[in-house]
Amino acid sequence: MVKTLLSILISLLLIAGVAVFETWYVDKTFGEFSAQLETLYEKTEDESATRGDAEAVRVSWNEKKKVLHVWVPHNDISYVDYWLSEGLSLIETGQYDDALSKLEVLKEICRNIPAAYAFSFENIF
Amino acid sequence: MRMGLIFIRTAIIYITLLLIMRLMGKRQIGEMQPFELVVTLLISELACIPMADTSIPLLYGIVSILTIYLLHQIVCLIDLYCPPLKYVVSGKPSVVLNKDGIDEYQLRKNSLDVSDLMESLRTAGYFSLSAVEYALYEANGAFSALPKAGYEEEQTSLPLLVADEGKYNAKNIALTGMPPSFFADILKKQGIKNVKKVLAMTVDGTGKVFLQEKGKKRKIFTVPLPEGKRW
Repeated sequence: MVKTLLSILISLLLIAGVAVFETWYVDKTFGEFSAQLETLYEKTEDESATRGDAEAVRVSWNEKKKVLHVWVPHNDISYVDYWLSEGLSLIETGQYDDALSKLEVLKEICRNIPAAYAFSFENIF
Repeated sequence: MRMGLIFIRTAIIYITLLLIMRLMGKRQIGEMQPFELVVTLLISELACIPMADTSIPLLYGIVSILTIYLLHQIVCLIDLYCPPLKYVVSGKPSVVLNKDGIDEYQLRKNSLDVSDLMESLRTAGYFSLSAVEYALYEANGAFSALPKAGYEEEQTSLPLLVADEGKYNAKNIALTGMPPSFFADILKKQGIKNVKKVLAMTVDGTGKVFLQEKGKKRKIFTVPLPEGKRW
């Protein structure tokens, strides 16, 4: 009886711990990445974004996604990879207007991924 | 909160499956308790999906399996220490055959019919409905029967189900080699004008008849068979 209760308690704590950490980590990571994207977006609007800015965002994302693969389905991460590559290559070639639309999509994806994991009725069912 | 979602979703599926297994009756259960069957059904799938699909984080599978383990432990505790809830989770044995005959309500409740009962009896080594005092389906779907004293001597011929659930069984009647009117006459002599009132009627090769009208007690008697008519 004690052993069973203990195993129930440990399982509950493990699940709760993983859930809390995962929420905190995914929100934090996407929050940071969204902020970097926002900065890049503003620079792109001003047509002052450089190859170096684009490269810095790419490096930052590549670092983040190594750990994100543990928590987020890999397909979701691939969407970010795809739109980020497009957006950054447009910035690098100076096509700022086209790059803005790609960055807009990216910002939306970064908002949607953590929202898709939120504790809500529609996500449960 | 993906892990939280997985936890809630797994719990919902577990409870739904358990409920459905209980509602389906003992027919659907092998030799496991309903909650054991649910675990067997779920664990293999939960383990396979993240194992085979590398795009899904392994943690999703681990959290689901851990949730199933957690729920299973809770159900096991209920099963051991909470008798009123134990019946809700595991069900209780159903006595389908007693001294009065077949309990039609219990059979229906477990999605079974008379031929299923006879099949279970034969599997247990009893070939006649009149060979046992009591027969029951355990909570896990296993079949148990208490035979009458000296039932072996009575099992000299295979009883055939000639009528059940208000209908004649043409195939079994053909096996007896007797015309349907022969069995209709037996019913008439017992005061049953229409076969629709019969829950079960078996006749063996020695002429021993087990007859039970719907909602009434069983009757066991012997009728003379025409010369040379034995099976």
